[in-house]
Amino acid sequence: MSRYLDTIAALATPVGTSAIALVRVSGPDSAQLVTDIFGEAPAPRLARHADYRDRQGLVLDDVLFTFFAGPASYTGEDSLEISCHGNPYIAQRLVEDLLSRGCRSAEPGEFTQRAFLQGQIDLAQAEAVMDLIHARSERALAAANRQLRGALGQQMTGLIDELLIALARVEAYIDFPDEDLPAEDRKIVENQIANVLRGTDRLLATRHYGEVLRHGIKTVIIGEPNAGKSSLLNRLVGKERAIVSPEPGTTRDFIEEVINLGPHCFRLIDTAGLNPKPGAIEELGMGKTYEIAAEADFFLVVLDATSPTPLFDIRLSDLLSPDRVIVVVNKIDQPGSPSTLEFLPPARSVAVSAKTGLGLEDLRSALIGLADGLAPHTGDDAIAINARHAHALNQAKADLASAQLKLGENAASELVASDLRGALAALGEISGRIDNERMLDALFANFCIGK
Amino acid sequence: MVYNSKLFDVIVCGAGHAGVEAALAASRMGASTLLLTGNIDTIAQMSCNPAIGGQAKGQMVREIDALGGEMAINTDVTGIQFRLLNESKGAAVQSPRAQCDKKAYQFRLKHTLELQANLQIFQATVTGLIFTSGKVIGCRTNLDLDFMGKTVVVTTGTFLRGLMHIGQNKNEGGRLGDFSAKTLSNSFLEAGIELQRLKTGTPPRLLGRSLDFGKMQEQKGDTQPTLFAFHDTRDPQDLFHVEQTGERRLGWKPGFEQVSCWMTHTTAETADIVRRNLNKSAMYSGEIEGVGPRYCPSIEDKFVRFADKPRHLLFLEPEGRSTNEFYVNGLSTSLPFDVQVEMVHSIPGLEKSVLLRPAYAVEYDFAPPTQLYPSLESKKVENLFFAGQINGTSGYEEAAAQGLVAGINAVQKGRAGEPLIIKRHESYIGVLIDDLVTKGTNEPYRMFTSRAEHRLLFNHGSAELRLLHHARALNLLSPQRIARVEAKKNSINTWIKRIETERVAGHIFGDRIRSQGVDSPTPNSFDLVPPEVRQEVLYNVLYKGYIERERRHVLKLEQTEKIKIPADLDYSSVRGLRRECAQKLAAFKPYTLGQASRISGINPADISVLLVLIESTRAGQGRP
Ligand SMILES: Cc1cc2nc3c(=O)[nH]c(=O)nc-3n(C[C@H](O)[C@H](O)[C@H](O)COP(=O)(O)OP(=O)(O)OC[C@H]3O[C@@H](n4cnc5c(N)ncnc54)[C@H](O)[C@@H]3O)c2cc1C
Ligand SMILES: Nc1nc2c(ncn2[C@@H]2O[C@H](COP(=O)(O)OP(=O)(O)O)[C@@H](O)[C@H]2O)c(=O)[nH]1
Ligand SMILES: [Mg+2]
Repeated sequence: MSRYLDTIAALATPVGTSAIALVRVSGPDSAQLVTDIFGEAPAPRLARHADYRDRQGLVLDDVLFTFFAGPASYTGEDSLEISCHGNPYIAQRLVEDLLSRGCRSAEPGEFTQRAFLQGQIDLAQAEAVMDLIHARSERALAAANRQLRGALGQQMTGLIDELLIALARVEAYIDFPDEDLPAEDRKIVENQIANVLRGTDRLLATRHYGEVLRHGIKTVIIGEPNAGKSSLLNRLVGKERAIVSPEPGTTRDFIEEVINLGPHCFRLIDTAGLNPKPGAIEELGMGKTYEIAAEADFFLVVLDATSPTPLFDIRLSDLLSPDRVIVVVNKIDQPGSPSTLEFLPPARSVAVSAKTGLGLEDLRSALIGLADGLAPHTGDDAIAINARHAHALNQAKADLASAQLKLGENAASELVASDLRGALAALGEISGRIDNERMLDALFANFCIGK
Repeated sequence: MVYNSKLFDVIVCGAGHAGVEAALAASRMGASTLLLTGNIDTIAQMSCNPAIGGQAKGQMVREIDALGGEMAINTDVTGIQFRLLNESKGAAVQSPRAQCDKKAYQFRLKHTLELQANLQIFQATVTGLIFTSGKVIGCRTNLDLDFMGKTVVVTTGTFLRGLMHIGQNKNEGGRLGDFSAKTLSNSFLEAGIELQRLKTGTPPRLLGRSLDFGKMQEQKGDTQPTLFAFHDTRDPQDLFHVEQTGERRLGWKPGFEQVSCWMTHTTAETADIVRRNLNKSAMYSGEIEGVGPRYCPSIEDKFVRFADKPRHLLFLEPEGRSTNEFYVNGLSTSLPFDVQVEMVHSIPGLEKSVLLRPAYAVEYDFAPPTQLYPSLESKKVENLFFAGQINGTSGYEEAAAQGLVAGINAVQKGRAGEPLIIKRHESYIGVLIDDLVTKGTNEPYRMFTSRAEHRLLFNHGSAELRLLHHARALNLLSPQRIARVEAKKNSINTWIKRIETERVAGHIFGDRIRSQGVDSPTPNSFDLVPPEVRQEVLYNVLYKGYIERERRHVLKLEQTEKIKIPADLDYSSVRGLRRECAQKLAAFKPYTLGQASRISGINPADISVLLVLIESTRAGQGRP
């Protein structure tokens, strides 16, 4: 049926622009995936409502899915379309789960390419497909290159170099058994693998932008009690979530809401009011406010236009760097209220009324502007690349762990090497293919080989 | 003047390891073949150490045998010491190696050539090629005799503008005592074929009776020698035994009366001598422009680059049964002769040694192999094939493997047949040729097992199983031998199946073997199975998980490997292809989509674009 052996998956709708995200899967495993994920037999062309369960059995979202049996499908092969909630975090988790089940992250334009190759389209259509692949790959490539030039690229180079030396250490004893090499010391290899593993973990953990995509940009709303923080959150989210009360200090626990603005996703966190009266129950909430503020990407500092400008505790004011802050002057519906206040002058400032909605558009644009600065490359390519990074790093981790296990069991060198080569190939999916010449360079630089 | 006024199907220039295989393959396929060589007394001479096989190379020799080549059997019957390397490791990386009797090796091959039907050998130095409108049609020689052929295979080794260095001393020649092919290079340049320089070296040879073996450590051959040829599937008449009568009288019964090698090492004094005289080395005084191999450093390189290593191991290898000459493995150098003598005398057991030949370095022209199609035919000149050291490789096995493929493909070209293109995932030969024509090389290229992505599939015992389909398609083996390989393959598969399905004490045999080792029980009568079948079965059972993983990878790769790119494809008109990529591909002319994907700087999107184009063109043609 299908001319392809692998099943591809990717997010088909751009992130954050719609309420529904579409994840598309195509290839021979599609039917099996329906059974595995939804626990039911695939029924072609029937939209089904079901819980999406990840490999651990955790429900990620309730989704609508449709299975298409080839050739009556977009790509002409068995395929699966899953509509989930537009929250990029959820869409991302879905794609990652599909990758962990053995799907490959689709290349730019690959669905269309498969569609073309399965059916028979004429040359004009083919050229349109080629243009599409070209355009999308240029974008993907540009995004990938940007990332590789940065900290990610540097860390990758470090990891790859270390792994190459570890591999060279194993390969030397395979390919040069008759040489006068020092006795093989597998402990060194084990240590190097442990280093690389630490590195992959570090990378997986410190990929800040990846985190941002997953969880939204952490935006903490702070201000004095009754400044209108909760009201503002409700305005932005568009529903009653936080408790709004004329009684100061009602927001004791944290309230989080995810919103999409332009191409970005924000996680808004409402906090207890600052400067509570000493001894009040809100003091408990304060500790948490500092904690959460320390991890914030952005701050919305809400000021009450009708009250004097407050003084912030040093623990907070240290965190408030102007490029991460929007000063929101609230309650401008109140007669006689000023539209600007002398607070952190270099930061952006917008005047709003959480009550009437006045100025909310300005606030949204300001948030988007700030986020553009944080992540210049958003959009579907970026999220695809990130899913791929995580997948590749996890693949490398699995291979490295397997190599460690084998070293522990004193297994044959070529099997250890096989895992290390697998790990290297996985890292190569991020950095670009790693030629064996580089391993040989490491080998001949570290061992005196040759008769 | 055209000698013989005959139009040969294939003319091979140079009877080194590449040339010999090329000529035999071509003539055995029924093509009328001429082998020209500068000196027929040096046919298949081992320029460097008298040993065949070793890591990856040993597997490659068995692959040569699987495709009907001569190197394996010739090594078996002229070998004087056999060892299986990496015996303690898994079968995938075990490699047979043999010391050969240098002269017996040569003479048996010469004799084989003499007796080969369809083959004519002739002593003449090729001085130039004859071209007409982008094609080669023959060669000129130093005897003013011209020879015409439909195809020409060039296998001239290190001889093109060969220049040897011993300190400041220089001699022209492809190896000591031999000539230098000085004018042939011009022919290539005229045809637009680019040439570059490489360098290699060889150690001194010593007189055995001047050595004190008491101070050295003996290295014996294996008591159970691992041979190269697949004796189990060969026709008896292809085998040679001393007790056998017939025309081929050279060589001896494989594995008998093995001789020993001897180990010694350099001393602090050696290091001192080398360091003191470093400026006199041709390598270090800037006399040599060619690039030498990283894996085969001269002794001066070793002392400089690994200064903290106190001593280096040396092997004394006998050059034959009927000579007292010894090769000093590990002591390659381009230091002046007097320094060589001093250096050799600083080595335990070699204090009083007499040098028979000096060590030297040799520089030579090679033609960067990215100028070739995977068939080893030149992209510039039609019907012209290159094989061996002229393609930038080093080593007899690498040369022989290419020679075999070039010989076969020259015949196929003449017959307008499909060329033999062995894939990377089928064998070391496939890796070798693909690396050469796709990536090129900037040092003398030698095979390592690490170069093969799928080396776990390349255990030496499986060579004839892996290559059977090629041998069958091109009639490279006798029908009887093909039938025997097929039977062997069936038997292996049957046994694997039994072991993976039948049970012992409630457990699948295979699971038991994997958890408890090869000594676990096997189904009844498995003991009676011939060892080469047993080994193959057990290898497949033991490494099942890995082998399956590799096969899955291979299956994916094969998809792009199968898609041929039309030779006349106009890349500049392909929409959606980046400009630099189009230029690169146009210059490179990749043969398949798989090859294109391995060219540096070509990314997956480019391949997708190409795939769409090729498929749409094909679909278009398929329509009425
Ligand atoms: C000094 C030296 C050191 C080496 N060291 C090593 C080493 O350490 N390790 C290693 O693996 N390999 C080494 N080699 C390489 C190994 O010898 C070669 O790789 C191998 O022999 C190449 O085989 P070939 O068939 O390509 O060429 P060769 O074996 O060089 O054969 C070329 C043949 O062509 C003939 N010929 C050349 N020009 C003409 C012409 N114009 N007309 C007619 N006939 C011609 C010659 O007479 C010769 O018979 C060394 C070679 C040399 C010379
Ligand atoms: N007039 C006016 N009142 C507001 C505005 N925003 C909030 N309020 C009122 O201010 C009080 C405190 O609001 P709340 O959102 O709970 O403040 P928080 O303590 O900062 O979370 C409530 O009575 C709100 O109705 C505004 O823009 N204009
Ligand atoms: Mg509140």
